[in-house]
Amino acid sequence: MLSHTHIAELRAAVGHDGLITAPNQLQTYECDGLTNFRVLPGAVVLPRSAAEVQAVVRVCARHKIPFVSRGAGTGLSGGALPAEGGVVISLARMNRILEVDIANRYVVVEPGVINAHVTQRVAPSGYFYAPDPSSQSVCTIGGNVAENSGGAHCLKYGFTVTHTLALEVVLPNGELVNLGSATLDAPGYDLTGVFVGSEGTLGVATRITLRIVKRPEVVQTLLAAFGSPQAAGQTVSDIIAAGMLPSALEIMDALSIEAAEAAVHAHYPMCGGLLLVELDGPASEVETLMREVRALSEKNGATEIRVAQSDEERMLVWKGRKAAFAAMGRISPNYIVQDGVIPRTALPRVLAEIERMAAAVNLRVANVFHAGDGNLHPLVLYDRSIEGQEEVALDLSYRILHLCVDNGGSITGEHGVGKEKQEALGYMFTEPDLATMQLVRCAFDPENIANPDKVFPRPRLCAEKPGPYTPHPLETAGVAEIF
Amino acid sequence: MSTSPVLSLEDARLHLASIVGEEFADLRDNSVAVAPADIGQIAETLRFAYDNQIAVTPGGGGTKPGWGNPVAAPIRLSTRRLRSVREHSWHDMTCSVEAGATWSAMQAELARHGQMVALDPLWPDHATVGGIAAVNDSGALRLRYGGLRDLILGMTIVLADGTIAKTGGKVVKNVAGYDLHKLMTGSFGTLGVIAEVNFRLHPIEEHTRTWSVTATDAAQFSPPLRALLDSQIVPSCVQVRVEREQCAVDIRIAAVPHCLDEHADRLEKIFAPLNFTASAEEVWQARQQLFDGDYAVLLKASLLPATICTVLSELLQRAACNGVEIHALAQANGLATIALTAAAEPAAACVEDLRAAVRGSGGSVVALQLPDEVRGRLDVWGCDSDALPLMREIKRRFDSRQILNPGRFVGNI
Repeated sequence: MLSHTHIAELRAAVGHDGLITAPNQLQTYECDGLTNFRVLPGAVVLPRSAAEVQAVVRVCARHKIPFVSRGAGTGLSGGALPAEGGVVISLARMNRILEVDIANRYVVVEPGVINAHVTQRVAPSGYFYAPDPSSQSVCTIGGNVAENSGGAHCLKYGFTVTHTLALEVVLPNGELVNLGSATLDAPGYDLTGVFVGSEGTLGVATRITLRIVKRPEVVQTLLAAFGSPQAAGQTVSDIIAAGMLPSALEIMDALSIEAAEAAVHAHYPMCGGLLLVELDGPASEVETLMREVRALSEKNGATEIRVAQSDEERMLVWKGRKAAFAAMGRISPNYIVQDGVIPRTALPRVLAEIERMAAAVNLRVANVFHAGDGNLHPLVLYDRSIEGQEEVALDLSYRILHLCVDNGGSITGEHGVGKEKQEALGYMFTEPDLATMQLVRCAFDPENIANPDKVFPRPRLCAEKPGPYTPHPLETAGVAEIF
Repeated sequence: MSTSPVLSLEDARLHLASIVGEEFADLRDNSVAVAPADIGQIAETLRFAYDNQIAVTPGGGGTKPGWGNPVAAPIRLSTRRLRSVREHSWHDMTCSVEAGATWSAMQAELARHGQMVALDPLWPDHATVGGIAAVNDSGALRLRYGGLRDLILGMTIVLADGTIAKTGGKVVKNVAGYDLHKLMTGSFGTLGVIAEVNFRLHPIEEHTRTWSVTATDAAQFSPPLRALLDSQIVPSCVQVRVEREQCAVDIRIAAVPHCLDEHADRLEKIFAPLNFTASAEEVWQARQQLFDGDYAVLLKASLLPATICTVLSELLQRAACNGVEIHALAQANGLATIALTAAAEPAAACVEDLRAAVRGSGGSVVALQLPDEVRGRLDVWGCDSDALPLMREIKRRFDSRQILNPGRFVGNI
């Protein structure tokens, strides 16, 4: 719990209007997009500058108070879940675009800048910011950096880490450091590469230099209706085998189409498996390749093929796809979104196995996925009002993640481990792997105060040695407990 | 660092021979050259070195011994026996390759299914996957496909104390845990030995064409180059070659065959009135030729992309006044190789001069090759990052006994 002294010091760091301690206001911050985990923080601070972030973190470091940074709170793995009685650092007020350098193709932003605003700012010059998580109209760059966010177009354009050149970071001891540079290959370890995706466990990014990308000459989006997701999946394999790299390859199954249609009326063809292919680039190339995509879809039995005829139609297609998670509310009282990844070729057997597992516990699973890179988003549908069903649904969702790992994949492609998948991380990596990651954690945050008790399956003390588990001396002495 | 007081070099060799076999542990040039057969033997070798606090230099093809600060380690660990492409999942466009495989051998294997790791490093016939990753080398293809940090999906590494750890995975999209492979890439063997690397693959560029534009001063390229990069043409490679008599821009485009003529027309318009011609693929050997040439000093400079032509043009002019001859080549992404022919004093001055010119914009200049008489008076890395203490702490956590390539990296890490 925070004492009066702590609160006074935090107030001194961010001013009266930068501090929230009233319980009813704190409730706003008790969870992120993963709402089944809720913890009330001790205080929320809203710094306006890196110096204020430093001042806050110094207070936390001095008193060993855990802190959790937070952007828009749209994360889906509980990464921004507060530490009990700890401090939440909301970066919402640090929302300025500081520099735009079109000639060198970068922008410098504060962490609270909304993802879509970066593209809006550079669009008049013919550029865009490529990572496009479905929440891009509200989520922030700081949050994207923490999670290494992807989106539908990362198949071609890469992830947040691909587009992050440099970071200014407040370390968990309050020091300010600059990682990377606007130029490539700054001498030294690639700490930018390590920090992106570290889920707030290594410090707080206060200034971010992002690469921007030239807008392609044309973009074409094709919808192809198939009898099953497997047939759509085969078409994806054929497109890739033909040497094409579309900017997006998405598949939705019948349940997802039904939900998305109910929510945004995207005029999708009703079918067992809908494939969405987006190609971009020079006009003549896109036209040639789109003909190939059409032919491959026909070969695999597409019952209907449509190409979005205008930008508006294209936007509508994407609106339906990006609304797919939220749309589940239309067909099910509750649902769990998962984020497993599998090698693309494992798609048919993994989908069949998910269907079998769901049927065995009498639940439905809707599937929306970034098929090009094997990133599945199984949506486990359930009804919380039925006693015991939530536990069954949660268990199913975790077993689906294990299935992904068993098939050579990963437990998360873009949502992060956060609070939700800590134990699953232990399924994916061995103890020495995790201990090695912990070496980085301890170099950045020896006191374990930056977003503690997240990501890793069990908290460690930084004095522990890597390798097979050995009890910490304090643990042996009964002074500290490892759980 | 030397061997521990109780252990002679011959004792060390004997012990290492018991791990890797007599014929793979030799006494050579005051060190033991050891070649483990597999990852388990790498781990045992390192554990022995760690327990006895003996410095180790990991190595692959030995193509870049002079890069970074010199290290005289009593154990030289070669990955040359770990050279297989362990897995090529061509439908998933990924592969896993042992660190000692040469780049060319790996690419030849992947080419059987029309795929490649989209990177063109130096000395591909001799340089190994592990070595290339350790120094984060890249060539002209980086403009389109990104660098190793974008192409490496995961790794198996061996830490100084012999711990074997995996990081990342074999799938293209993966945010589980820390990306330690990004930390390892470009760490010059100071944090661990890279034993295996997983890559994402791209289709081999089937139909490509190269064009060149020439001018007497590189500064003339600035406006058209900007226009090219702002245009919707997507080149695979763009490089600027700068020499005293003549400068050139080379452009390679890969596309469906019937679109290549259209691209040529567009390019010619962008570069008019400069001399624009079709060129041979050999121009893409230009970077390799600088490294194969007889130059006293070779620099890797990292510049803001829009400044490459002016920075190099000015450097050329200033250098000429000081009796320094310069051959330079810059990728459009801002990474440049600069070769100097000069006496020690003006060469060192030239490097400092360039550092001063690029520092303000966040640029950097690393001296990859230096004559011994210059080494003493010039920091090879030129790194004044405020993150150096953090980097040292990472090194301390990974290698508390400082046995892996001690002193080779930035800030004498």
